[in-house]
Amino acid sequence: MPLAAPLEAELEVFERNREEWSREHLGKYVVIQDGRVLEPFFDAYDDAFRAGLREFGVNRSFLVRQIWIKEPIYFVA
Amino acid sequence: MAPFEVFWNPFDQADPGPCMKVVVTNTAETIEAGRLLGLEYPAPQAITALLDTGSPFTIVSRTFAKNWKLFQTNAGVPIRTMGGDCLCDEYCADISFPDSGLACVQSLRVRGADFNREPFYSCIIGRDILKNWDVRFYGKAKSVTIKCS
Repeated sequence: MPLAAPLEAELEVFERNREEWSREHLGKYVVIQDGRVLEPFFDAYDDAFRAGLREFGVNRSFLVRQIWIKEPIYFVA
Repeated sequence: MAPFEVFWNPFDQADPGPCMKVVVTNTAETIEAGRLLGLEYPAPQAITALLDTGSPFTIVSRTFAKNWKLFQTNAGVPIRTMGGDCLCDEYCADISFPDSGLACVQSLRVRGADFNREPFYSCIIGRDILKNWDVRFYGKAKSVTIKCS
């Protein structure tokens, strides 16, 4: 059986909720593992990461994702 | 404290640009939590990084990130380069700058991408780190000085 791509399940949860979260939490960070979403949302990436570490530990990755309606694409030169 | 000085040759087009050594590791909290579970992490190793004002964020080689077991926090993040669009992973990492006197950056969101056919460096120091420094380019002297601002 092929292995799931990293964070695939968490990214699906994020996409399912993106529109709703964008209305109230635009620009904030959300932490997700499997179907579990940490609340409240976070203003800073490092705060979100530390909260995820406390809650989920390091055995498996968890998603830390900033909430945008449409994903920004940054240019790297 | 005297500024840290990096030498490069802007008159040589084969010179990749100003580079310095960096150590990219999991955050101290990640390593502590992992060791309590019996997880092992590779010893820190300095890699070469390019100072790149053209990058909004810091990027490490995806190969390095996997080999050094950086804790992944995101996947499939699009970025645009002159070579085309690609998808990055994201990791939470601490970055230090050995023998420079520059302060360590903690719990930084670092992107991971493929450094295809790049022979000189495996990390790009972007504006997320550069914004903390006073960086001066001296073209004719072939040097760059850096100090915390």
